[in-house]
Amino acid sequence: MRQPLYIKSAVAISAQESFEREKFLQPLLTSGTGKLFAQDAPYAQYISPVAIRRMSRQMKMTISCAMEALVRAGVATPDAIITGTGRGGVTDMEHFVKDMILLNEGAMNPTAFIQSTYNSASGWIAMQAKCTGYNQTYVHRGCSFELAVQDAQMLAGESELPINLLVGCFDELTEDYYHIRQKRGYWKIPAISSESLYQHEDVAGTIAGEGASFFVLSNQPEEQQNCLRQLKIIYQANAEKITQAIMEVAIEEAIGLDAIDLILLGDNGDPRQQHLYAHLDILFPKTRMERFKHLCGEFDTATGFGTWYADWILHQKQADGKQPKNLLLINHYILGSATVMFITAPETT
Amino acid sequence: MLQTSDRIVVSSMGLISALGTGIAAHTAAFEQRKSGLRHPQHLKTLHASEFLVGEVALSDVAMMQQLGIPSTKKGYSRTSLISMCAIADMLQTTDLAWLQNLPKLGYINANTVGGMSIVENLYMEMITDRIDEETDKWIDTLDCAESTEHVARFFGLNPAMATISTACSSSANSIIVGARMLQHGLVDAVIVGGGDALSRYTLNGFSALKNVDKTPCKSFDQNRNGLNLGEGAGYLLLEKESSAKARGANILAILSGFSNHNDTYHPTAPSPDGSGALRTMAGALERAKLPAQAIHYINAHGTATLNNDHSEGLAIQNLWQGVPPPFSSTKAFTGHTLAAAGAVEAICSIAAMQANTVPPNLNWETPMEELSIRPCTQSEKVDINHVMSNSFGFGGSNVTLIFSRA
Repeated sequence: MRQPLYIKSAVAISAQESFEREKFLQPLLTSGTGKLFAQDAPYAQYISPVAIRRMSRQMKMTISCAMEALVRAGVATPDAIITGTGRGGVTDMEHFVKDMILLNEGAMNPTAFIQSTYNSASGWIAMQAKCTGYNQTYVHRGCSFELAVQDAQMLAGESELPINLLVGCFDELTEDYYHIRQKRGYWKIPAISSESLYQHEDVAGTIAGEGASFFVLSNQPEEQQNCLRQLKIIYQANAEKITQAIMEVAIEEAIGLDAIDLILLGDNGDPRQQHLYAHLDILFPKTRMERFKHLCGEFDTATGFGTWYADWILHQKQADGKQPKNLLLINHYILGSATVMFITAPETT
Repeated sequence: MLQTSDRIVVSSMGLISALGTGIAAHTAAFEQRKSGLRHPQHLKTLHASEFLVGEVALSDVAMMQQLGIPSTKKGYSRTSLISMCAIADMLQTTDLAWLQNLPKLGYINANTVGGMSIVENLYMEMITDRIDEETDKWIDTLDCAESTEHVARFFGLNPAMATISTACSSSANSIIVGARMLQHGLVDAVIVGGGDALSRYTLNGFSALKNVDKTPCKSFDQNRNGLNLGEGAGYLLLEKESSAKARGANILAILSGFSNHNDTYHPTAPSPDGSGALRTMAGALERAKLPAQAIHYINAHGTATLNNDHSEGLAIQNLWQGVPPPFSSTKAFTGHTLAAAGAVEAICSIAAMQANTVPPNLNWETPMEELSIRPCTQSEKVDINHVMSNSFGFGGSNVTLIFSRA
């Protein structure tokens, strides 16, 4: 869908030091276990001591990330809150389902049950930010974050007044989750070091990740803001559909492919899915390309991290003076969906 | 481009619940005051003799037979099967080939716990090191999106898909999202709704919250004591009025208003003064450009929990200044079908409008102390031009829909 969303703030909690932007990649953080767990943020700054004691790490991560996005945007109460998650509160779900089995459906604590509800995070954020507006939660695997962004695009188009939309995503990695999905062939076995993800492209599988990313997006431009202009969600993705989506973006934006000066790829190092990116070298023979899943690992809402990374890069002063302006984010997820996003730097920098 | 002048219409609907498959089964049950609640037979819970639930009468095998799936086929979760049955019901009045060939079809589904009804029985096996194909093939049903994609595949559809999970308002939200996608031109027709199967997980969860009634629920009664859980699915086909007319479709209703607001009060309890529910109902009226008096029937969320009925009842009383139109909750018939409730009740509301008949609120005896208003306890003939349907969920997720006579 074509509808500009101006990025007022972008916050990510990931396996890298991304929560504090200036520490990002200083140095690169790695893992040799095949699991990239997120770096914890100072959660207690964002959640009351009473509430935080009962919260899973995922809830803390999500709420802190969302609240910090509001702070950085200077927005106390957004007009809407839209989240996406592939997995929801995995720890809470595991906790409750195991309790139920081990206690033989006996007396159980409802807290884990409540927090395993997929919209419990977006409801909590609404409560804390006093946002009585639109509240939505998408849970569609690899396009959960994308559907949240698409909803934000629709809201932006529906409002003649300036609006601030809090849009974000979260997914949690647990030992059980890793173990179970290993049986479905998701991961490279034996585990490899994360920074060498792209040196093991002969072995099936990828590395697991997690994280939360939140953005305050607006339909009104302000100075020095990057802009998420286009989003294409592709179901049952293949290289042809991805190429077609890229061509549509170029046509709708009235730009040539050579105007794209940076491509971020969600290639996860799994040879079984690399055919999705097969056409890109032909379409973009000279364009700078970067991959990001060695930084965050693979998860349903890794596009959220990719979007944060895109925003970070577009704000960075490049050493060679070649400031990228037009960025394509191309991602895919294990279970078949793919995404093309067009994100641009402000006209004058 | 956003286009709002063309109205959003409902051109087909299908549902399944404890009352059976199809609209006729539901309207007949309403007329005969015949509740679908029973002790669970398919759900293997230790609490079976304790709790009444709105269980779909068909077993998984019976649903597979009805859908023409050989019983040797594996991998069909009850969540998927229930959703498939509701869509099959909808397809009695819609040409499947037309949907299959539509370039811009959407399918916006909703559920609350994915394939939990099966995963909860296999979980301890899944986390062992043992590789067992029979068990492991169910792993992906942990995702809420699994049933959405399975249903689309089963019917040979290739739609733009989304799965929504906002607890008890989930499928009411699918209806809103689908309608807006039509207005933005992202889809030309869209199947919206949701489906949930009963699971021990949700039954024990609600039981731990101490809001499950062991007797048939008594919505809006002073002595109400909680909800009965249910399962089911409901789907509506939404189109723009112009395109529905152009293809000669039978227009069943107009989606004239909708509203989604957060309550911001508590993770599992609504605002006690009803302000959240009131804001949501008022928002839907505003979008529909209708005065409150234009509503002739309200299908209330009416779960019969202490909190919901207090809050929703006050909101209705305040919004209509003590004189609301007939209102009732149909939860005592179907149980609370969670993610399916919004769509199931939207369909029952439209059916009520078509028949000009208000479904009765069962088991009501004693007025609530704090309310001067009373639910409609007898099946009542009323001219209905506009109906309102409420769905209020955990996380403060409040949704109101308004349907109008075509």
